[in-house]
Amino acid sequence: MKDTIITAKRKKTEIITFIACFLLANIVNLYAIIHYKTPMKELFTQLGYVLLFTIGLYVGWSILRIVFYYAKRLFTKQKR
Amino acid sequence: MERREFLKSLGIAGGTVLAASSPWLSAFSEVDHTNSSRAKLAIIGPGSRGRFLLSFLKKNPNADIIALCDVYQPSIDETLKLYPQAKVYKDYRALLENKEIEGVIVTTPLNTHYQIVIDAFDAGKHVFCEKALAMTIEDCYKMYEKHRETGKIFFVGQQRLFDPRYIKAMEMIYAGTFGELEGFRAYWFRNNDWRRPVPSPELERHINWRLYKEYSKGLMTELACHQIQVGSWAMREIPNKVMGHGAITFWKDRREVYDNISCIYVFDNGVKLNYESVVSNKFYGLEEQILGNLGTVEPEKGKYYFENYDPAPGFLQLINDWENRLFDSLPFAGTSWAPETANVNHGEYLIGEKPKSDGTSLLIDAFVEAVITQQQPKNIAEEGYYASALCLLGHDAIEAEQILTFPDEYKLNYLNHKKLTV
Repeated sequence: MKDTIITAKRKKTEIITFIACFLLANIVNLYAIIHYKTPMKELFTQLGYVLLFTIGLYVGWSILRIVFYYAKRLFTKQKR
Repeated sequence: MERREFLKSLGIAGGTVLAASSPWLSAFSEVDHTNSSRAKLAIIGPGSRGRFLLSFLKKNPNADIIALCDVYQPSIDETLKLYPQAKVYKDYRALLENKEIEGVIVTTPLNTHYQIVIDAFDAGKHVFCEKALAMTIEDCYKMYEKHRETGKIFFVGQQRLFDPRYIKAMEMIYAGTFGELEGFRAYWFRNNDWRRPVPSPELERHINWRLYKEYSKGLMTELACHQIQVGSWAMREIPNKVMGHGAITFWKDRREVYDNISCIYVFDNGVKLNYESVVSNKFYGLEEQILGNLGTVEPEKGKYYFENYDPAPGFLQLINDWENRLFDSLPFAGTSWAPETANVNHGEYLIGEKPKSDGTSLLIDAFVEAVITQQQPKNIAEEGYYASALCLLGHDAIEAEQILTFPDEYKLNYLNHKKLTV
């Protein structure tokens, strides 16, 4: 098995992506609180569900990126 | 449950709502001063129910059973195991002549209650009589009047009056926690023949007396009597109309009383109490469901349920809505067409724990206290009278297959009733 190298740039990209997903999940929670007129304290009490949603978003976004990466590679190979 | 523990469990020290909803709890008001006193009591007819009561009295240091009366030797033998020093009588009239006895506990078959209780009052004894009081409303009325005339203590075996779950429920109902009361559904379902083993055929009617019209009115006097009273307790009103039907549908074993009954009691404002008892299916057990516009109480389970409870967190509601939009399909109609199935609402416990006792021990302890203090707790005789009168009125409605109204001549000055004055 060969060693894999995760570059600092990749780490930075992934951390920023995760933080973006977390922020988006919190915005969704805020929207839900306003829309369903539930208490503002749910911004904190529902953090568990928000975190799960964040992971869902991150995984979903990662799958999209992988699909996009391979599609792009296939396209550039055929071009050569 | 100890008396002090009981009072503590209700969180009471003379709360006004509690005093209004269960005024008979004043029976325990002198409990700190009666520790060294003893009530000398006798039991007449210590069958299974009587011995059940004795099992509680045995633990009460203020009660002493000094005499017993029965005509059935196995019952005498069993009772003597609990109270070996008790004097045995075969005739209750001889027992009533014993001047030492202050109070009697009457647990004989229903058809004998009336004469024994009247004779006991006449002999100057305090009386605890098992429910139902008598075979007719007229007899119940005469028993109540005799109690008033003699001024002796009178208790009826309505143990729910001392059940912490019911007391708490009534306190909440009187405080308006469940809004306006709109209906009652009370039921008692069993699946057994209600028979007891009989050593020889000639004792059949004496031992299984609940099954024969000469001795009992069956389900109405033996079971409904406990539950209908809960309705008038909650409503603070006596229902004035009743209709009903009864039949023997399953236990066709030469019994004479119905094994399948249903009654509707109607309060003056139109609220109804639906009562049902079937003894060939036990799935739903027993309960008195008290329905308010803000909530429901099931005191037998010891629980209450609010109509509107806190909604789910907004985030979960949103996810749920997205999920419904994606996967649900109601092609023809909106949610108004969705069937109104029962709520999944687990409710809350009335006294913060699962129910433990049914109030019987506290009821009999209260009688002992009343005998010692010579003070009749407020409303307890009236509640006992109306519990019996209402179940007998229901029975009469079943027999007559007619809508009956409460007879004016048997009304007391109690709640919405006014005594008839000639």
